[in-house]
Amino acid sequence: MGDILQYFLNGLARGSIYSLVALGLVVIYQGTGHLNFAQGEMSLFATFGAWWINDHGVPLWLSILLAASFAFVGGGVIEFGLIRPAAKKSPFAVVVVTIGLFQAFNSLSGLLFKGAATGLSFGTIFPNKPKDFFRLPGGAVWRYENIGVLLTVLVITALLFLLFRKTKVGLAMRMVANNADSAKLSGVPTNKVLMLSWALSAAIGTIGCALVAGINTNVSLGTMFGVFLLASAAAILGGLDSPLGAVVGGLSLGVIESFVTNYPKDWWASTYIGADTATAAAFVIILVVLLARPSGLFGSTHVERV
Amino acid sequence: MAITITESSAKHWALRFVGVATLAGIAIYFASGAAPSTLGKITEACTLAIAAIALNLLLGFNGQISLGHSAFAGLAAFTAGYSVNAWHWNPWLSLLISCAVCFAFGMLVGLPALRLKGSYLALVTLAVAFVWPTVARKFLNQTVKQSTLTGMKLKPPTWTGLANNRADRALFLFWLSITLLIVAYVVVRNIRKSRIGRSLVAVRDNETAAAVMGVNLPLTKTITFGISASLAGLAGWLTAAQLTTLDENSFTILTSIKYLLALILGGAATLAGPVVGAFVYYFVDDLLKTNAPHWDFLPGPLSNGPVASFLLGAVVIAFVFIAPTGFVGLIKSQTRRIAIVVPRPLRHSTVAEASVEESESP
Amino acid sequence: MTALLEITDLWAGYGRQQVLQGINLHVDEGTVGVILGANGAGKTTTMRAISGMIARQGSVLFQGSAIGAASPDRIVHAGIAQVPQGRGTFTDLTVEDNLRAGAFVRKNVGASIDADIQQWFGVFPRLAERRLQKAGSLSGGEQQMLAIARALMSKPTLLLCDEPSLGLAPIITQELFEVLGRLNAEHGLSILIVEQNANLALRIAHNVFVLETGTITASGTPSEIAQNDTVRKAYLGY
Ligand SMILES: Nc1ncnc2c1ncn2[C@@H]1O[C@H](COP(=O)(O)OP(=O)(O)OP(=O)(O)O)[C@@H](O)[C@H]1O
Ligand SMILES: [Mg+2]
Repeated sequence: MGDILQYFLNGLARGSIYSLVALGLVVIYQGTGHLNFAQGEMSLFATFGAWWINDHGVPLWLSILLAASFAFVGGGVIEFGLIRPAAKKSPFAVVVVTIGLFQAFNSLSGLLFKGAATGLSFGTIFPNKPKDFFRLPGGAVWRYENIGVLLTVLVITALLFLLFRKTKVGLAMRMVANNADSAKLSGVPTNKVLMLSWALSAAIGTIGCALVAGINTNVSLGTMFGVFLLASAAAILGGLDSPLGAVVGGLSLGVIESFVTNYPKDWWASTYIGADTATAAAFVIILVVLLARPSGLFGSTHVERV
Repeated sequence: MAITITESSAKHWALRFVGVATLAGIAIYFASGAAPSTLGKITEACTLAIAAIALNLLLGFNGQISLGHSAFAGLAAFTAGYSVNAWHWNPWLSLLISCAVCFAFGMLVGLPALRLKGSYLALVTLAVAFVWPTVARKFLNQTVKQSTLTGMKLKPPTWTGLANNRADRALFLFWLSITLLIVAYVVVRNIRKSRIGRSLVAVRDNETAAAVMGVNLPLTKTITFGISASLAGLAGWLTAAQLTTLDENSFTILTSIKYLLALILGGAATLAGPVVGAFVYYFVDDLLKTNAPHWDFLPGPLSNGPVASFLLGAVVIAFVFIAPTGFVGLIKSQTRRIAIVVPRPLRHSTVAEASVEESESP
Repeated sequence: MTALLEITDLWAGYGRQQVLQGINLHVDEGTVGVILGANGAGKTTTMRAISGMIARQGSVLFQGSAIGAASPDRIVHAGIAQVPQGRGTFTDLTVEDNLRAGAFVRKNVGASIDADIQQWFGVFPRLAERRLQKAGSLSGGEQQMLAIARALMSKPTLLLCDEPSLGLAPIITQELFEVLGRLNAEHGLSILIVEQNANLALRIAHNVFVLETGTITASGTPSEIAQNDTVRKAYLGY
């Protein structure tokens, strides 16, 4: 019983990060229908930036905030300079540009930060000494760091929901997502909204990546690869155009992953399932969900007319 | 003013003949003089071209995206490597078996694809690509008790008169890859030009309308997935013929992305696109790997590897703006100023004449 | 009477294809203009060109200032709202949020917008009942009412209506035109309407323009138009 709770808590921490990165993906997708393949590497680059700032004596939390603001600006510039012109060219163009950005940002990180390939040690903003945990009834431990990560993600998510639901900018984003033409006819400067989406998405991703780096205690060129894959899986599981779906998708994926990793330890299937197959198993579960609901758990379905 | 050439006229055939002869000439030129390493590179580019052709059939003509083609190629390579080494099968038999296995597996992956579209389909196929290395590793651990599998050690048959040394083997693989590339090209070309090809495109452009017109959607889509997977299997088998060892990292998601880039850079939904794209991508990549500068003024790099990789990303992005419809689209729009190929005028059928008269009568 | 909207030699189209080939038309302050034309004549294209949704050349003056090169959001700010053909509902937003969306360009927040929403709920009680429902679940007619209310939430000086009666029952169409007529007569709202139901539209019109394959072939007051035999046969059906 204690074990089950333990796996659940571990899964929540990782899952909350998937949710955050997935939210970043959804923010872009719902406005443009583009899946940003470079999301992970863009935020990785910014996180290396946070490492660099921190290395120069700035407190870590401030470094991360600075890097996120830097990513915010960078995301907007990329939308304006590359994505928008590419979208006018052909439907495949944006896909290719984001794949190109993926490659460029990953290698740029390697070019600018010595030791990026093998990993640079990255601190955490939460207490993470060996004894920093709650002991819950049943023997499960809940580490302060995991609580901190979960809370951070929940706060950011709540802020995003406030932005979407309660502000004019959020209304504009929802209008563009739902019907771009009508949004224009209602006076929304859609280009600015799309630029803002990319900016927000990059900033959110950066915080996600910094949290991952904190949990891993280091940041390397490979840090975001798996995280991005699982986050995009989470976004798709929840429905690519649903922020709520991204959060639910991310959390459930983290929990599933944690259970598959740990549970069949002493079970006949352990030769076939285990840590290295956790991601694979998560994908199989998503496949089953998608077969039942082709646009994800919370995604909107559109009817096609002849 | 551009010259107009009628399709399938004598002039058009002559032009085609000149094109084919030029390509054949280039192939023979390389075969007669090039170093084994150069031949090896061309062989690899041909392999990439076959995989891109496979993806083109599915994505370009049928509108179904797949990021899982690396897994099909990997499956074929492992099937070939294992059957030849463990069961001592004839490599040529393993070619047929590999393609058949991929066809079946492709149909299987095509089933969920019936319900999914766009990014959702991309993710599911991405999952296939992601799962493959894990499965391969398990397979190696459990079955071979090693981390690698030996390749096929394909020997040139005696009738070729080639010996089993490095140079002759390279020459043999060179011709083999060109032959298989032609096979793959002709298969996809014939499918495209046939009635089936038209229904593939109809499904891509508007599924509902195609279904209303009587196209069997599930069958068309799954069979296309199957054929495309077996062509990717051809590329995988050819990889197994080139490599001395196969491990799970020979076929990762990055391999799938490479197929996709080659296709889109060349021009999706054109016949020549994937071939041109594969060669351009492969040799730009190769050129950068060997010739990229050392950027010593930057703190990070110890080698020029990251520089090459960065430049490749930049080239890919720049390409989108230079040739948004791919390399073939760019060439077509340029040559259109010199010569245009126009379809042969329709022969007057009685039905056509009747309808013409009708519309003119009032 | 001064011209509120003055269009001179307007060309517009999609890609290389020019649909509008030098259109002249005008809407005077406080009047209703009606555009008649066959399917594919370019009526929707005209509306989209005025709103800045497509590339166009030529002079478009609104309240004396040139808007022929302005972006759609600038044009809405200037005071032109459009009810697009096909309603343009924000299907995933609630009915109330659709109305808020319409008020996007208004600077004043809160109370006055809420008051206007209440006012529209008074005009269309059916919308009030479905206030928190997703707008996509409304019937076609209800969505059309919503589209008009949404456009008017921006407090425009000029309302562009592209086939507001499309898909509505005859009785609802009549009600709709009564509402539009009242808005014009009581509130002085200027309106430019594209309408297939010419007889109904002419009842509230001050000026009529006949559009045929991208050019205006006839224009005038409703009575002048009704005396033009070819136009009467083609569009009024008697
Ligand atoms: N998005 C588009 N791309 C290309 N051509 C278009 C597009 N929309 C309209 N057209 C063309 O422009 C011409 C005019 O279309 P438009 O929609 O303005 O007609 P309309 O007068 O509004 O017709 P209807 O009464 O059917 O609404 C048509 O020939 C149409 O084919
Ligand atoms: Mg129209």
